[in-house]
Amino acid sequence: MTAAEVGQPTGQASARSRTAGAGLAGLRLARLHAASRRVLTCVLVLAACAVALRTALHWLPRTGVYARQIPLTIEAGAAAVIGVTTRSPFGEPERATGRWLPWLRLAGCVTLTGIAVGALAAAAAATHLAGGAAGLARDLAGFTGIALLTAAVLGGALAWTGPMAYLAVTLPALTGNWTTPWIWPARPPPDRGAAICAALVFAAGVAVITVRGARDRSCE
Amino acid sequence: MTAATAPAATPRAWRVPRPAGPARLLRIELRRSPMLWMLPLLAALFWLSAYRTAMNNPPFWTIRAATLQANAMLAFAPLLAGVCAWAGSRDGRRGLVDLVGVTAAPRWAAQLATWAAATIWAEALYLAGVAVLYEVTAHQGAWGGPLWWPVAVGVAMIAASCALGFAAGLLLASRFTAPLAALVAFLALAGGAFALQDNVRYAQIWPLSVQGPFPTDSYGIFYPYLPDLAIAQVMFLAGLAAAALGAIGLPAAAGGRWLRGTAAAVTVAGLAAAGTAVGLAGTARVTAHGIVIPALHDAASDRPTPYTPVCGRGPIRVCLHPAYRAYLPAVTAALGPVLGQLAGLPGAPVRVTQVAVTSVQSARDNGIGFGGPVISGRPPVLHLPLSGLTLPGEGNMSAAQFTSSLRQQYGPLIVNDLVGLPSGAAVGIGVTSVNAAPGARGAAQVAVARALDQIMDLTQVGGGSPARSGAGGSADSGVPPRALQVAAASHRFSALPAAVRHAWLLTHLTALRAGRVTLSEIP
Repeated sequence: MTAAEVGQPTGQASARSRTAGAGLAGLRLARLHAASRRVLTCVLVLAACAVALRTALHWLPRTGVYARQIPLTIEAGAAAVIGVTTRSPFGEPERATGRWLPWLRLAGCVTLTGIAVGALAAAAAATHLAGGAAGLARDLAGFTGIALLTAAVLGGALAWTGPMAYLAVTLPALTGNWTTPWIWPARPPPDRGAAICAALVFAAGVAVITVRGARDRSCE
Repeated sequence: MTAATAPAATPRAWRVPRPAGPARLLRIELRRSPMLWMLPLLAALFWLSAYRTAMNNPPFWTIRAATLQANAMLAFAPLLAGVCAWAGSRDGRRGLVDLVGVTAAPRWAAQLATWAAATIWAEALYLAGVAVLYEVTAHQGAWGGPLWWPVAVGVAMIAASCALGFAAGLLLASRFTAPLAALVAFLALAGGAFALQDNVRYAQIWPLSVQGPFPTDSYGIFYPYLPDLAIAQVMFLAGLAAAALGAIGLPAAAGGRWLRGTAAAVTVAGLAAAGTAVGLAGTARVTAHGIVIPALHDAASDRPTPYTPVCGRGPIRVCLHPAYRAYLPAVTAALGPVLGQLAGLPGAPVRVTQVAVTSVQSARDNGIGFGGPVISGRPPVLHLPLSGLTLPGEGNMSAAQFTSSLRQQYGPLIVNDLVGLPSGAAVGIGVTSVNAAPGARGAAQVAVARALDQIMDLTQVGGGSPARSGAGGSADSGVPPRALQVAAASHRFSALPAAVRHAWLLTHLTALRAGRVTLSEIP
C-alpha cells in the first residue's frame, strides 16, 4: 500500500458521512427554527380557521355581503397568524450567527402560506365560497403580504394589526362600488389588476421578511 | 471638641416607599400602554371608515351618528380587542407572573390599571374623532342637534372590546392571543349582523345596529330619536365589560378575600345586566319612527318635534322639513311638472307637504318598506315621504339624478292615487296592469293612468310590462283581450289634445275614481 492509497476509501466514507451529517444538521436547524417561531401552533390555528370556514359556509347564504365578509375575515385571521410566527425570540444573537436564517425565513412564510391556502381551499371544497379557490388564494396571499410587511415595520408580535386594519377598511368596500385594485377583496376573482396588486404585496412581504426578518424589539 | 463630645449623629430614618396607589399605577400604565402606539393606526382607520363615509352623505345628524356607531366600531372593536389582549398577556409573555404576583398592590388593581390605561387612550381618540365629525356637521348647517346615544354606545363598545380582549390576554398569554382576539371580535360582529338579517329575535342587541332596519335618514327628524335600543345596547356592553373585568379578579392570586368577593359581585352584576339587555332587545318592535322597547320607552318621545317648514314658490307649493331645505329645488323640479299637469282636477293636490312616513312595513332579511306619497285631506294635500330615498350627495347621487328618480318613482304613484287605483296596486311592476285592477271599470282607471304616465314621461317604472307599455298587442301573443283594449284606450286618450283631455278629466275624474267609467267611455 502506497502513501497515495492511504485513506482513499476512508475519505469517501467521511465525505458521505459529512453529507449525511449536513443533511441531518439542516433538518435539525429547520426543526429548531420552526419550534422557535411556534410553527406547529400556527398550523393548528390554521386548521382551526379551516374548520371555522367550513362551519361558516354551511350556514352562510350563497350570495350577499355576508357570503363574502365572513370568509374574508377568516382569511385575514389566517394571514395574521402567519405574520405573528415571524417573531424571533432570540433577536440580535440569532441574526448575527444564523447564516441560513434568510432561507429559513423564506421557507417558513412560503410554506405556511401554502398550508393556509391548502387548508382553507380544502375546507371550502364542494361548498359555495364566493370567489372560489382562486379568489381565496388571491385574498389570502395579499393579506399575508400585508402581515409580513407589518412584521418588518412594527415587529412580528404586532404583525396581525396590518391585515386586521386592512380588513376593517375592506369590509365597507364590499358593499360599496370601490374600483381600485388595491382593495382586491372587493374585486371579482378574474380582475387582473386586483390579482397583480395582491401578488405584488405578497412578493414584497416575502422579500422583506426574507432579507431583513421581522423587526425585533429587546423588550419582547 | 473630642469625638466623645461631638453631637451624636441622628440615626437615618429608613423610609419605606408606599405601595403605588391606583392613580400612580394608572399614570405609569398610561405611559407604557401599547394602545399609545396604535393611536395613529386607529386614527387612520377612523378617517377611512367613519369620517370619509360620513362626509359622503348629506349632513344629517342621524346619518353622522349612525356612521359613528356602525362604521367606526366595526373598525375599532376588533383592533382594540387585539391590542388589549396583547396588553393583558404582557406579564405572561415575559414570564413575570410570579414576580408581579408578590407585589404589595393587589393584582386585580394593577390589571385594572392596565386595562383602564388602554381604554382611556382609545376612548380619547374616539371622542376626539366624534368632536371633529360633529363640529364639521354643525358647520355644514345640519338641522337639529347632535345625537349622543350612538356616541354612548360607541364608548361602551370600546370599553367592552378592551375588557374582553384584556381578559383573553390574561387567560392565554401567547403570541397568537392578540390576532385570535381580533379575529373572534370580527367574527362576532359579522355573526351578529347575520343573525339580525336572519330576523333572530334577540339580534337587535347587536351594537352596530343603530335603529334596526331603518335607513339612517328615516328617524330622528320629524320625531325625536328613540334611544330605547341604544339604552339596551349600552346596558349589554357595560354588562359584558363588567363581567370580563370582574372575572379577572376571581383567581386566588388576584387579591384578598374581600377583593375577590367584590370581583365576583361585579361579574354577576355584569352578567345580569347583559342578560337583561338581551331580554329587553327581544321585546323590541318596529314602529313608524324607530325601534321601541316597551320597558325602556319614554312616551314623551312619541310627540313630534316642532318645526317651521320651508316652502317653495309655484302654482302648487312644495313644503319640506327644514332639515331637507337643500333639496327643495330638486323636489320641486321633480314633482312640479307632474302636479302642474294635474292642477285644477277634482282631488288633485293643491299643496305638497313632506311627512316622516305614510306607512311602514317590516320586510324580510331585516328590511323595511315605506309607503309612497298619499293624497288626502280637504283641500287635497300630497303627503310626501322622502325617507329611505337616496338623497343628492349620498354616494354618487347628483341633484339631477335625484330629480329624475323621484319623478319616476313617485309620479306614477301620484297619478294612480288620483285616478283611484287601489293603494296595493300602486306598488311594483303590476302597478297599472289589468290583472291588478279587476273588472272593466278598473281597466278604465288603468288606461287613464297609463296615458297620463306616458304624457308626463313617467313610463320607466314597469315599462317592461306589455300590458303597461301597450307593446305586443296581438291576439296570438298571449296578451289577454282586455289588455289590448286597455292599450288601445290608453293610446286614444294620450293622443287627445291637452285641453280636451283636461276638460274630460275635469268632468269625469270623480266618476272614474269611483269606478263608474268603462273603457268604451274613454274618448
